[in-house]
Amino acid sequence: MIEVKNITKTYGKKDNVFTALSEVSFSAPEGSSVAIIGKSGSGKSTLMHIMSGLDKADSGEVLMGGHDIQKLKRKQADNFRANEMSFIFQSFFVEGNQTVYQNVALPLEIAGVAPRRRKQLIETALKNVELIDKINSKAKNLSGGQKQRLAIARAIVNNPKYIFADEPTGNLDSVTGARIVELLFSIKDSIGSTLFIVTHDHELAEKCDQQVRMSDGRAIDIHQKPAQRPVRKVML
Amino acid sequence: MRIIDIIRRSGRNLKSSKTRTILTALAIAVGAFTLALTLAASNGIRSYTDELISSSFDPAELIVGRDKEISNTGAPSDKPQEYDESVASISFGGPGTSLQVKRVSLADIEAMRKLPYVEQVRENFQINIRYITSSANDKKYTGSADVYNSAQKPEISAGMLPSSGDIKKGTLLLPETYLSALGFGSAQDAIGKQVRLSVQKPFSAESIQQLLVSAATGSAPQDQAQELQKVFSYTIGGVTKKAATDFGTGIMPLSLSLGDARELYDYTVQGTADYEKFLYVFARIKNGDNKQNIADAKADLVQKGYFVQSTEDLQKAVGQFVDILTIMIGVFGLITVIASVFGIVNTQYISVLERTREIGLMKALGMSRSGVSRLFMLEATWIGFMGAVLGVLGAYGLSVLLNPVITKQINLDDNLLVFQPVQIAILILALMLVATVAGLLPARKAAKLDPIEALRSE
Repeated sequence: MIEVKNITKTYGKKDNVFTALSEVSFSAPEGSSVAIIGKSGSGKSTLMHIMSGLDKADSGEVLMGGHDIQKLKRKQADNFRANEMSFIFQSFFVEGNQTVYQNVALPLEIAGVAPRRRKQLIETALKNVELIDKINSKAKNLSGGQKQRLAIARAIVNNPKYIFADEPTGNLDSVTGARIVELLFSIKDSIGSTLFIVTHDHELAEKCDQQVRMSDGRAIDIHQKPAQRPVRKVML
Repeated sequence: MRIIDIIRRSGRNLKSSKTRTILTALAIAVGAFTLALTLAASNGIRSYTDELISSSFDPAELIVGRDKEISNTGAPSDKPQEYDESVASISFGGPGTSLQVKRVSLADIEAMRKLPYVEQVRENFQINIRYITSSANDKKYTGSADVYNSAQKPEISAGMLPSSGDIKKGTLLLPETYLSALGFGSAQDAIGKQVRLSVQKPFSAESIQQLLVSAATGSAPQDQAQELQKVFSYTIGGVTKKAATDFGTGIMPLSLSLGDARELYDYTVQGTADYEKFLYVFARIKNGDNKQNIADAKADLVQKGYFVQSTEDLQKAVGQFVDILTIMIGVFGLITVIASVFGIVNTQYISVLERTREIGLMKALGMSRSGVSRLFMLEATWIGFMGAVLGVLGAYGLSVLLNPVITKQINLDDNLLVFQPVQIAILILALMLVATVAGLLPARKAAKLDPIEALRSE
C-alpha cells in the first residue's frame, strides 16, 4: 500500500506565501496505476517530487512499503530511489552522445549492480521495449518514439517497485503516444510495479486504476476506475 | 556507484566534447612539457657533472686542506686571516681580489701519513712548464704537468701503463694533442722518444742578489738567467687520449711520476711562499671504496682541524647548483600549470552548466552528491592525465630529436636529456592531482544542483 497523508507544501515567506500543496491525501495498492491529473500549476509535479523524495514537504507523510519517504535522510533517500524507483520524463532526458546500452546502464551503475549481471538486465529491458536491435546505436540517432522507449527501458531495467512518469506522451504524436502508453502498462504489469502518471491528458488518465485530480494544490477528486473494466481491454 | 563506472563514465563524457577536452588538456601539456624537459636536462647535467667529478677525483681520496675556504662552496670569506707562516695570499678573479688561505705544511702531511686509516698522501703538484719540446722538430710549446694518478687510469692510444702503482721515474704520459705539434707521426711513433720540459725558478731574494752581484762583476747575465731555468728530459711512456668527460676547452696536462713531479715542483717553487706548503693534498683512505670508511676518515680529520672534501661533497655542491637552476626553470613550468588550472576550472564550469539535466537525472535516479562530485572531479583528473601524458610525450619526442644534435655539438658521451621513469610517473600523478583539485569547485557546484530545478521541462 502506498499512502500519501496530509501533504502540505508552501513556498515563500510571510506575506508572499504560496501554497503549492494543501493537505493532499490518497492511497493506492501496490501494483496499481495512479494518474495525477490537473492543469499546469495545480501542484501535480510538486506532489510527484515529494512522493519520490526529491522534495521535502512542510508536513505530512508518504508511506511506501512501510517507509516514510519524507523522513529518510538524504543518503537513504538516494538509496531508496536508486533501488526502488524510476522516472520517465516528457523530454526523455536520454544522453544523445551515449549508446542505447550506456543509457540503460546508468540506473544499474548508480545502484551498484555487479557488472556481470548488468548485460542480461539491459538486454531484457531493451527486448521489452523492442529496441534490442539498436543496442549499440547512439541515442541521438533515435526517433522521438524510440527515445521514449529507451527512457522506458532505462526506467524498468532495475525492476523498480515504483515508476513515476511525468507527461510521458507530452512530446509525442498521438499514435506514437498511444503505443508508448500501451507498452508502459504492459511492462508495468509484467514486473508488478506501481505506476504514477502525472498528466493533463484525460484519455491517458482514464486508463489508470485511480485518478487523483489536482486543482490549486488540493486533491479535489479521487476517482477509482470500475473494476469491470480491466486495463488491457481498453488499450489500443 | 562503483568507482570504475564513474571513471569510465567521466572518460566517455570527455570524449563527447573532444575539441574542448583536448584544448584544455593542451594547457596542462605545455606545463608538463616544460617540467619534463627541465627534469630531463637536470638529470643529464647532474650525471654529466657527477661523471666529470668522479673521473677527475678518486672517490677513495679526500681533499684535505687547512683552511675552511677549501670546503667552502659559497662566496669566499672577506675577513682577514690572522698571520701564520702558512697563510699565503692567492689572487683570483682579477685585480682587487685576493684570498688569504692557510696551507697544509709538510708536518701536517707527515702527521697524516701516520694516521691508521690513511693509505697514502699525495701532494697537489701543479707545475707550470715554460715550454715543452722534442728532438723531432725543436719547436717549443706551452703546457702544464700533473702527477700520474694510478687510481684514475687514463685511456691510452699507445704505450703501456703499469697495472698498479706509479709510472716509471723518468717517463711521462703525453696527451694526444701534442703529437703532431712535437713532430711525431703517430702515437706509436712517439713511444720511447725524448721530450724536454723547461721550468723556471721564480725570482727569490737570493736569486736577485746573485743577479746583481753578477752584473757588478761583469760576468754575462745571460748565464745567470740560465741558472734560473732548468731543462728536464723524459721518455714518453704512453700517449693519453682525451677524456670523454673533459670539457671541450683547455689542454690536458702531461702526467709525471710522483718523484719527478716533486722534483719539478720543488724546483719551481723553491724560495717562494708556496715551497713545502700546499693549498690542499689528496689523502687516500684505506678501503676507500666503502663510503662508511670515507665518512669516518673525514669526521676524524675534521676533528683534527682540517677542512675536508670528499668526492661526494663536491658532487653535492655541484648538485646544489644544478638544483637551483632546475628550480628556476621549473618555476616557469609551474606558472604554466597554474594558468592551466584556471582553464580546467572554466571548462568544467561550462560542462556543469551544459549538463544540468543529466546531473538532475542522475540525482533523481539516486546518485549521491558525492557520486556526482566524483564524476566531475574525475573528468578533471582525466584532463590532467591526458595533458600530462601529451606533454611528457612531446618532451620525450623532442629529446629523441635533440639529444644526438646536442651530444655532437658539445662533445658529450651521454645524452643531455635523460628521462627517469619514476620522475615522469610522479610528474604525471602530480599533474593529475592538480587537475583534480581544479575540478573541485565545479564538482561542488554539480553536487549541489537541485534536481527539481534541473529537471523542470519548459
